[in-house]
Amino acid sequence: MEALIRPEFGLMFWTIACFVLLALVLSKTAWRPLMQAVEERERAIKSDLHAAESSRAKAEKLRAELDAQMAAMKAEVRRSMEEARISAEKEKDILIAAARKSALIIIEAGRKELDAQRQEAARDLRKRVAELSVMAAEHIMMKQLDHRANTDLASKYLAELEKERPDLKLECE
Amino acid sequence: MGLKEILEHHVVDHVWSWIVMGPLRLPLSKHLLMMGIASLILLTVFPALIRSRSAALAPFRAMIEMVVLFLRDEVVIPNLGAKGAGYLGYFSTLFFFILILNLLGLVPYGATATGNLAVTGGLALTTFALINFAGIKEQGLIGYFGHMVPKGVPAWLYPLLFPIELIGLATKTFALCIRLFANMIAGHIVILSFISFIFIFGSFGVAIGLGVAPISVGLVLFTLLLELFVAFLQAYVFVFLTAIFTGAAMHPH
Repeated sequence: MEALIRPEFGLMFWTIACFVLLALVLSKTAWRPLMQAVEERERAIKSDLHAAESSRAKAEKLRAELDAQMAAMKAEVRRSMEEARISAEKEKDILIAAARKSALIIIEAGRKELDAQRQEAARDLRKRVAELSVMAAEHIMMKQLDHRANTDLASKYLAELEKERPDLKLECE
Repeated sequence: MGLKEILEHHVVDHVWSWIVMGPLRLPLSKHLLMMGIASLILLTVFPALIRSRSAALAPFRAMIEMVVLFLRDEVVIPNLGAKGAGYLGYFSTLFFFILILNLLGLVPYGATATGNLAVTGGLALTTFALINFAGIKEQGLIGYFGHMVPKGVPAWLYPLLFPIELIGLATKTFALCIRLFANMIAGHIVILSFISFIFIFGSFGVAIGLGVAPISVGLVLFTLLLELFVAFLQAYVFVFLTAIFTGAAMHPH
């Protein structure tokens, strides 16, 4: 049984030589490429993470900006609508006032014309009535003209006139 | 043929011939062949797997990568600090070398090279060298030996403690060597014993032997699975303890 626990120093030499050579060679051929690949991947993951983080931050900023713009635009729209409403009201008032004024002018003009026409008509009528009455009177006078009576009457009038207006007295005496 | 012969046949190295180089007598043996196979696998299959870009080999690549990353993040960096990343190649090689040697012992016609004191002793010696190398590189020769005795120890205890610490350094690596050796050999001995039960009981009567056989085979299968687990576990333990000792040598506080 002692063969089991009797170390063979030649084999120990082999082991050390074998292992040291393996460690040297594998460090170059296996572990270095492996670690390079791993580190590359870790770096890629880290950079991806970083990129994702930064793009998220960017997106968030953009969204905030857009929100602010949207709010500003809304306020702008509200303001301009209000403005438009006010100006429309003003316009309406102006239009109504103008319409009222022009209507008044038209009414006034109509009334004036009406008045003028009525006066014209009245004048016309009066002229006609005067003419007619003069003509009628003429006819009546023609029929009733009595020389004596008329002469007396005229003398009477003249006398009355003379009394009233002595300056017009005829110097017949 | 007694159990002793069977055991020695299955567990102990077979030396086929010797190469004599002056004082060195180098054996050409079965365990050396196993180490050669393991080295061949490590030197050809691993780089090929790692460098290949084929999707079919991706799972194997991922397995290697997972183990190496585990060693880096859970074993090397916590014990050796950030500077320890440079030693990752050593630890990865150590882990896979021990693991493959352990697993080769479970393959039919294979032999467990890690169940040989010379092999585990060789590995422990490289660990011993690594511990001292890393410690001296990190703290300088004087600093390393100065920090060997823990701080706060009265000055008159130094002459006593310094040799104890030196012995402790050797003990640690010796324990590493014995732990791996014993763990790898124990499973084999247990399996051989279970199989021998069949023949021991068979000597009482053929029927008894046949009756015991299924139980024995079941136990052998269980032990084999246990050995498979132990193969991974002991590779990890060896590497982990090496990392702890190296870390302790690098950072004495």
